[in-house]
Amino acid sequence: MKARLPLQLLAVLLFLFLYAPIFVVVLYSFNAGRFGLAWQGFTMTWYHTLAGDSQAIAAMKNTLLLAVISTAISTILGTGLGYGLSRFQLRAGKWIDAILHVPVFIPDVVMAVALLLFYALLRKWLGIFELGLTTMILAHVTFQIPFVAIVVRARLHGLDPALEEASHDLGADAWQTFRHVTFPLMLPGVLAAAILAFTLSLDDFVVSFFTSGPGSTTLPILIYSSLKRGITPEINALSTLIVMASIIGTVALMLVQRRNEHV
Amino acid sequence: MCKYKFFGLLALMLSLLSANAEDNKLNLFIWSEYIDPQIVKDFETQNNAKVTIDVYEDAESMLAKIQGGGDALYDLVVPPDYMVSVMTHLELLAPLRHQNVPNLTNLDVKFANPPFDPGNKYTAAYQWGTVGLYVRSGDEKLEPSWDLIFDPAKQPGPIVLIDSVRDMFTAALKYKGHSLNSVNPKELLEARDLILAAKKRCISFEGSVAGENKVLSKQAAAAIIYSGEGARGMAEDKGTRYVIPREGSQIWLDSLAVLARAPHRDLAEKFVNYILDAKTGARLSNFTRFATPNRAAIPFIHPDELKNPAIYPKPETMNKLEFVHDLGANTRLYDELRTQIKAQ
Amino acid sequence: MNQQGIQFGEHLTPSRRRWRIFLTIGPGFFWVILFLIIPLMAIAAISFFARGPYGEIQPSLTLGNYKRLAGFGDFGFDPLYPSVMWRSVLLGGGTAIFCLGTGLPLAFFISGLKVRWKNVALTLVVIPFWTNLLIRTYAWQILLAPESPLSRVAPYPGALAVFVGMVCDYLPFMVLPLYASVEKLDWSLAEAAADLGANGLNVFRHAILPQIKPGLIAGMVLVFLPATGQFVIPDLLGGAKTMLLGNAIQQQFGSSRDWPFGAAIAMVSLALMLAGLWFLNRRRAEPPPGII
Repeated sequence: MKARLPLQLLAVLLFLFLYAPIFVVVLYSFNAGRFGLAWQGFTMTWYHTLAGDSQAIAAMKNTLLLAVISTAISTILGTGLGYGLSRFQLRAGKWIDAILHVPVFIPDVVMAVALLLFYALLRKWLGIFELGLTTMILAHVTFQIPFVAIVVRARLHGLDPALEEASHDLGADAWQTFRHVTFPLMLPGVLAAAILAFTLSLDDFVVSFFTSGPGSTTLPILIYSSLKRGITPEINALSTLIVMASIIGTVALMLVQRRNEHV
Repeated sequence: MCKYKFFGLLALMLSLLSANAEDNKLNLFIWSEYIDPQIVKDFETQNNAKVTIDVYEDAESMLAKIQGGGDALYDLVVPPDYMVSVMTHLELLAPLRHQNVPNLTNLDVKFANPPFDPGNKYTAAYQWGTVGLYVRSGDEKLEPSWDLIFDPAKQPGPIVLIDSVRDMFTAALKYKGHSLNSVNPKELLEARDLILAAKKRCISFEGSVAGENKVLSKQAAAAIIYSGEGARGMAEDKGTRYVIPREGSQIWLDSLAVLARAPHRDLAEKFVNYILDAKTGARLSNFTRFATPNRAAIPFIHPDELKNPAIYPKPETMNKLEFVHDLGANTRLYDELRTQIKAQ
Repeated sequence: MNQQGIQFGEHLTPSRRRWRIFLTIGPGFFWVILFLIIPLMAIAAISFFARGPYGEIQPSLTLGNYKRLAGFGDFGFDPLYPSVMWRSVLLGGGTAIFCLGTGLPLAFFISGLKVRWKNVALTLVVIPFWTNLLIRTYAWQILLAPESPLSRVAPYPGALAVFVGMVCDYLPFMVLPLYASVEKLDWSLAEAAADLGANGLNVFRHAILPQIKPGLIAGMVLVFLPATGQFVIPDLLGGAKTMLLGNAIQQQFGSSRDWPFGAAIAMVSLALMLAGLWFLNRRRAEPPPGII
């Protein structure tokens, strides 16, 4: 391939472009000045303020709780879905596929208001689903399932069917085959899908924003409403922590995927 | 597992679940930076309760949240004057049981028994204030006008408009000498064009707190904000001023109200009574720097604040201030115009 | 892979098969139906209702919302919403095209690296992908603030700042599927074309482009469709001055409290998405087994 240099230059520029925001946030979380770009000295004050901010801590708890519960549910449901779609040919397969992809392509705001309306109607007719952590969990699972299913299905596609056939030939029934052969082979995919679902939940703002209730503020919602008042260094500190968590999560995901490829 | 143990466990779980209904919790839905956290903490200690605070930046979003499902989740809201009649029409508010709120008598006669809620049936006045201009002060003696926003020749620098339709139209309608409750299409279209022209020259639309911060951080030279933010800004930066333009502006009254399906109604009324206490009322206003409607609290307010025209306007200014009224079906006109402004 | 009735050497009776399908696919599928498809149908339904004077939904059938969308508002004809839609499509399309223009060279670059560096580069692309959108977006408020030298190019708040934020957000969505396709490229075809005398452009057009089409389509779908419905980035970087589809919907379900009208806008956005999807799908050779 000729002309490597312009390509390399472009690549470097693009990476700088992608990382500039992250870098800026981390940098300014240590800035002693409250306003503006002027650097006024290094400080950890904002992290101290953050530690004492009960709203932020509550939001952190909510965010994690929401992510863990929704990931658990969606991983189970999505894995079943991915497994089923991969192993069973269905006449309606194409339609199921299409419906499954709706949460992926739909603009989040449309999905969010649809859920808001749905919950309002249910509340009117059945008196259930007050807005809160429950409604948010249900909403998150809804957009997580397709991603889990897609990842698991892709993983299963890559597996050699001969292994499962061999298991049957040796006398194992369906459940035993699944438990001892298919599932362990599928596991890296399931894990990757779970990490994917977890990060999707952590990251979500729009859907959470519309389906949240009192005391169920999550970190993205907290950041947004704080931003509406003006950037504070405390927000930078909070964001830095979140960014660090994301980086750790991403690296973990990549490592798991690497193991995927070696199996 | 033994049958008895199972039922015992079940009973325990059920009692824990139902205990949520009327235990010592309180859900407050209020404007951001509108209450002293210490006041809340003291209430928590006194009543062995836990108060959750959720905030909003503009009244319409609050109503949207309540209407969309918050009315059985939150106990207390702080609606502005014009919104109270809407909320009572939608049956979103619970009547205040006056025997639980004896401190209602502390309210100043001007703010007790307001026209939008005769007899304080649903609400108790919380804070009142104005809409005005927050500027990096120039000439102290010059009486500022809305032309700082609407006249390109007079614009002092980057400006910030307010992201709330009634407040933004207050500025435009008052600039042209009309009522801020106008439903005259000609006047409204004229106001819209003024705002559109200003929009092209402005940095952004922001809430009151964000506008104050933009002026404080020197990103803007003028912003349309509320009086409390103005007073707090002035205290933080002596080079800024909050002023009410000479063409007039808006005076508003926010009230505490208990929601119709509030899960903790008794505690909510206790909270209202607590806020109406003379000393607490003064602490509140000393923190928020908005004006207090509590006559009994006046002796405990910082004397400087009482003399500050940003917080307590002089009588001649008061004459130029108008309350916002709910416009019923005509609200759609404003909504349509707001979309037109944002979409162009 | 599976013959009817036999799965990996095991005989499956039809009822057993149905039961297994129900157990595996059933829960997940029905969840999506219950919590997404049905709510979307509810949105479709109320888009034909009216709004009461106090913001309630009035179940009286009307086409008023769609008329208003077409431009017949309270103040006479004004193609307000069509222009909002057009601007959203422009922003989404522009973002997608720009991401394509920068993402494709990047994909080629990564593909040309040694294996060890490939994984590092991919991880580097993916990390911002997983970092919270809000954080990355508001960071541009700092980077493009008036005091910053960058603001001379794309001042915050402003349309260009919105564009910068959009590209920054959606670039990884474009790069990853593109990379997946580029990785699988059979360069021998390109070499053959070059040997046969084709110039650079033709080599690309006829030997390379058809091969990476699936990745290209996937990337366009993943960027263009969500980008048209985006509201957070224009809100934070545009100074709340512009109204795009996403903001319009959010406003109607928020402060304007006109759910029926908001539903109508949502339906139109959905229709736009479906149209875009259909259009892009027609150019697809074969759907890839998975997006990731």
